[in-house]
Amino acid sequence: MPKIKINGKEYEVPQGSTVMQAFHEAGISIAHYCWHPGLSVAGVCRLCMVQIEGMPKLQIACNTEVKDGMVINNTSDVVKETVKWILDFHLINHPLDCPICDQAGECGLQDHYMEFGAYNPEMAEDKVKKSKVVDLGPTVVLDSERCILCARCVRFTDEVSKTHELGIFNRGDRSEIGIVDGKPLNNNYSLNTVDICPVGALTSKDFRFRQRVWYLKEADSICPGCSTGCNVKVHYNEEGLWRIKPRVNMEVNGHWMCDVGRSTYKYVNIKNRLLSGRVGRRDSWKEMSPASTARMAGLKLKEIVEAHGPDSVALVLTGQYTNEEYKDLLVYFVTGLKSKNVYHWINNPEKINDFDGLLFRGDRNPNTKGVEAALKRAGVQGKWEDLQAALSGGKIKAVVVAGPEDQSVFPDMEEKHAMFSQAENLIWFTACPSAVLEKSGCETFQIPVKTHAEKAGTFTNYQGREQKFPLVTTIVPQALTLSEVAEIFSGKELNWNLRPKSLGGTKNNYATTERGAL
Amino acid sequence: MQTKLLTEHYDKPEFQTLEGYKKYGGYSVLPKALKMDPKAIIEEVKASGLRGRGGAGFPTGTKWSFLPANGEPRYLLCNADEGEPGTFKDRLMMERAPHQLIEGMLISAFAIGSKKSYIYIRGEYNYPTECVRKAIDEAYKAGYLGKNILGSGFDHDMDVYSGAGAYICGEETGMISSLEGLKGQPKLKPPFPAVQGYLRKPTIVNNVETLAAVKYIIRDGAAAYRKYGTEKSPGTKLFSVSGNVMKPGNYEVPLGTPLKDIIFDLCGGLKPGRKLKAVIPGGSSAPVLTADEAMRATMDYECLAQMGSMLGSGAIIVIDDSNSMVDLLDVIMHFYHHESCGQCTPCREGTGWLSKIVHRIHHGRAEAKDLDLIKKVSEQMMGKTICALSDAAAMPAISFVTKFRDEFERHIERNPSRTQEEAHA
Amino acid sequence: MSLVKRPSPVAAWYLPGILAGMWFTLRKMFYNLFNRKKMPTLNYPEEKYEYSPRFKGNHILTVKKDGSIRCTACMLCATNCPAQCIKIIAAEHDDPTVEKYPISYEIDVLRCVYCGFCEEACPVDAIRMGPEWQAAGLNGSKFTYDIQQLAYRPQLKGGIQSVLDDTERHRAGI
Repeated sequence: MPKIKINGKEYEVPQGSTVMQAFHEAGISIAHYCWHPGLSVAGVCRLCMVQIEGMPKLQIACNTEVKDGMVINNTSDVVKETVKWILDFHLINHPLDCPICDQAGECGLQDHYMEFGAYNPEMAEDKVKKSKVVDLGPTVVLDSERCILCARCVRFTDEVSKTHELGIFNRGDRSEIGIVDGKPLNNNYSLNTVDICPVGALTSKDFRFRQRVWYLKEADSICPGCSTGCNVKVHYNEEGLWRIKPRVNMEVNGHWMCDVGRSTYKYVNIKNRLLSGRVGRRDSWKEMSPASTARMAGLKLKEIVEAHGPDSVALVLTGQYTNEEYKDLLVYFVTGLKSKNVYHWINNPEKINDFDGLLFRGDRNPNTKGVEAALKRAGVQGKWEDLQAALSGGKIKAVVVAGPEDQSVFPDMEEKHAMFSQAENLIWFTACPSAVLEKSGCETFQIPVKTHAEKAGTFTNYQGREQKFPLVTTIVPQALTLSEVAEIFSGKELNWNLRPKSLGGTKNNYATTERGAL
Repeated sequence: MQTKLLTEHYDKPEFQTLEGYKKYGGYSVLPKALKMDPKAIIEEVKASGLRGRGGAGFPTGTKWSFLPANGEPRYLLCNADEGEPGTFKDRLMMERAPHQLIEGMLISAFAIGSKKSYIYIRGEYNYPTECVRKAIDEAYKAGYLGKNILGSGFDHDMDVYSGAGAYICGEETGMISSLEGLKGQPKLKPPFPAVQGYLRKPTIVNNVETLAAVKYIIRDGAAAYRKYGTEKSPGTKLFSVSGNVMKPGNYEVPLGTPLKDIIFDLCGGLKPGRKLKAVIPGGSSAPVLTADEAMRATMDYECLAQMGSMLGSGAIIVIDDSNSMVDLLDVIMHFYHHESCGQCTPCREGTGWLSKIVHRIHHGRAEAKDLDLIKKVSEQMMGKTICALSDAAAMPAISFVTKFRDEFERHIERNPSRTQEEAHA
Repeated sequence: MSLVKRPSPVAAWYLPGILAGMWFTLRKMFYNLFNRKKMPTLNYPEEKYEYSPRFKGNHILTVKKDGSIRCTACMLCATNCPAQCIKIIAAEHDDPTVEKYPISYEIDVLRCVYCGFCEEACPVDAIRMGPEWQAAGLNGSKFTYDIQQLAYRPQLKGGIQSVLDDTERHRAGI
């Protein structure tokens, strides 16, 4: 382990690491754009200049390997002056459109300018004009003028997604990012280029102009899109969730996440949600509060068990809920109702082992491993054929379904619903309204439940790695978690004072939407 | 007087062909070299003190000894991408004596143990490319290239690669990128080409003149080669003289020859009635010398370095008093702006900025403080980038503005278009 | 807690005080009757006071030369607004040189404190505070001004043009 000195303090860093890594490890701030821990070293922004004793010229930290006894300095006047000038070089052709730039507020140039900027610009020439609003593909828009040509996106498509869509065209200050051979940037990882873009050159079509980033809060979470369980940051405000970005976890997702996972925020937002409980059947629905619906459903279950015995009810679980919820529901079902009829609904068994080689898996449930473990622990492992036989034999009078949170990944929704409808009663937990359920032919209880963003819990990913995540925000306060449903089913009252009630905090100019007409 | 070592037979048209070349002693050194120990050849080249003729002047033997001693395939690349404005010596060498280059390359390749070499010729050089291609074909037929050359057991293949005319591909790593089929952009160092170059294998890149000179070092021995030139800059060098002289052209003289002699004796001096104003001694990227300095300068690496300039590729551009330095700098800056590859920020933005400022000065829309700005910008571009193009743009800018400041100031002051614009405003 | 002191017996003789006050009023009445031009009050609403052009009255959204709205929906005004009364919804414009524009811009004037911070924050002179100050209305009037009201209300006669022109800015390379 070489011992080095940074700004007069001694550090010990691993053999073979670069000066840049040493700085990051030591937690010392150093300016950089083109260096990204997940990509190769390009060394083109020239911003990470450091002074190393014994070397006549300043060196870039990202491509210099540490040696024992190196004395490094990035706070001397020479380095400061250099960084100031190089930042100025970055800025001389950068347009001043921060007001309409989506990156404003989380922009590398803004941050660095505040820290290292030369506040007296001497550039008096006309700026180089390049193309704006270039459509790169279905997800990403490019603004070439804002681009500082760090080539992070190009390296990403070359090294990580290996799709090679992007390249730098032309030379000198006429260089522009573009798509090679007209092949659009259309892969499942394209939005990572937006994340790694240090400026606002690449913007996401999905998020573009929808919010200023300073109105958003962020919270850590786990992506529910597939069984990889990428660590994510959810950006939200009182109006709901706006976007999902990856969070670094080298053991799960590295620095990246897929575009499919990024769109999982959409069904969480209030306009896609089931807001109240619904009881009834096709064309005759009665709306009531979720808790009342659950209470009614619980009484119904008890009635059936008392009348026909514990084997007349069945529980179907999908891999979309947290380990805690499975546990509570199974305790109620197995210990409370003494039923052994618990089944695991696998939505696409033929694709369950698919893997695209990077992150995205064919198993589109975040917690398949979790539900399997929960069933094993409870000692119930019902076979799907048994359920089919029992249903068609009319032995089962009521089916409780912990339905999918994200219905779009359950292609067999209609088929399975028809199968469960053979029972007289159907109790279905769902976060979003479903056209299939609306057409339900038997007595159905639709109970709105909370999504992954609205509850704390644990998902077990494909590796068997248990990942805890906290509550992000509350979008439908009245919706229940499965644990709460189990509590209501077993006849207890919820403590309404302890539940998260409304959306946290107040949004800027929130009141304008709330008061309405006078 | 010229000292014709490399260019001895350049005046004979048949020297271009294999037969003619052999008539004047061609391919006589190769058998001798093939019998030598490769290490001995490297030692000989080291002892001769031969320095790279492409521009940087790095000792060739030392460069060769950087190759790692493992069994990896290694490549020899001949840099014939002669892009430096003012230089045209490699072109002459490839047109007149392609076999001389091939022989020199074969000896060098044998010394470093390379089985494959490429000659990277700039895109505009159609005729030289043709000459070299033809010569390689002839050499293959005569058994000087291919398997088991002259029964020595040494295999070697040679290929010609025509560039697309980018100046930056004359930089060794830029050339390697271009050869690999990538965009011609210099690569980060380290790793240096000698460790990881072409196709990530050890690679040696040498200039045409350097490789050709190797033949003569082996022929006559290092001591004989050292007789030419000075102690630290031994050997002869081709100088491409252009500009306001009576007889521009390529001249081979020993290093250390006074610049005065080259301009006034060999090239016949300036046009009658003209006065020497400045000389650029090593291609457009070398800092300019004033007339006084040019009179004192000797053409070797040390003297020019001492004067703050450099020998570069040996392109002497003579400027007399009929030229405007502002005009000249505008052209040079435009060249570097156009040729910057756009990888590193200081160079990409700096060359454009400099070009715009100088253009503004040239067209009379400038103030005196812009001269200081040129200096400031140039200083910040120096030594901050992957390759030396940024320095190559900054050095002439600084030297022009410093050494001819009064001319620039006069230009700014009495410029007609400026007064016009003021009247307009 | 403050103690209320009972007035002294002398102060209880309030009649001289009242008479003095009434005499003051009477004197002013006669003064105003015979010097009507010096009278400081106005007969609102028949007569209206002319405020200075820098008066911070009702907001105006300026327009470009072609009459479209100048605002780029950067939301700096909404961010800066201490009363949090501005609500903007941005959208992408078909014209790539415009890029971003507001499809909805609402100011809740009943919340507005007329501080002028929005005007200060605006980078493109898109919002100004104009000389109009009569924001009164009957119950049921609309106090949430939208783009139509802010930029194209009849008093503005087709819109106030912004001083910042994009084509000129682009030419200047900004």
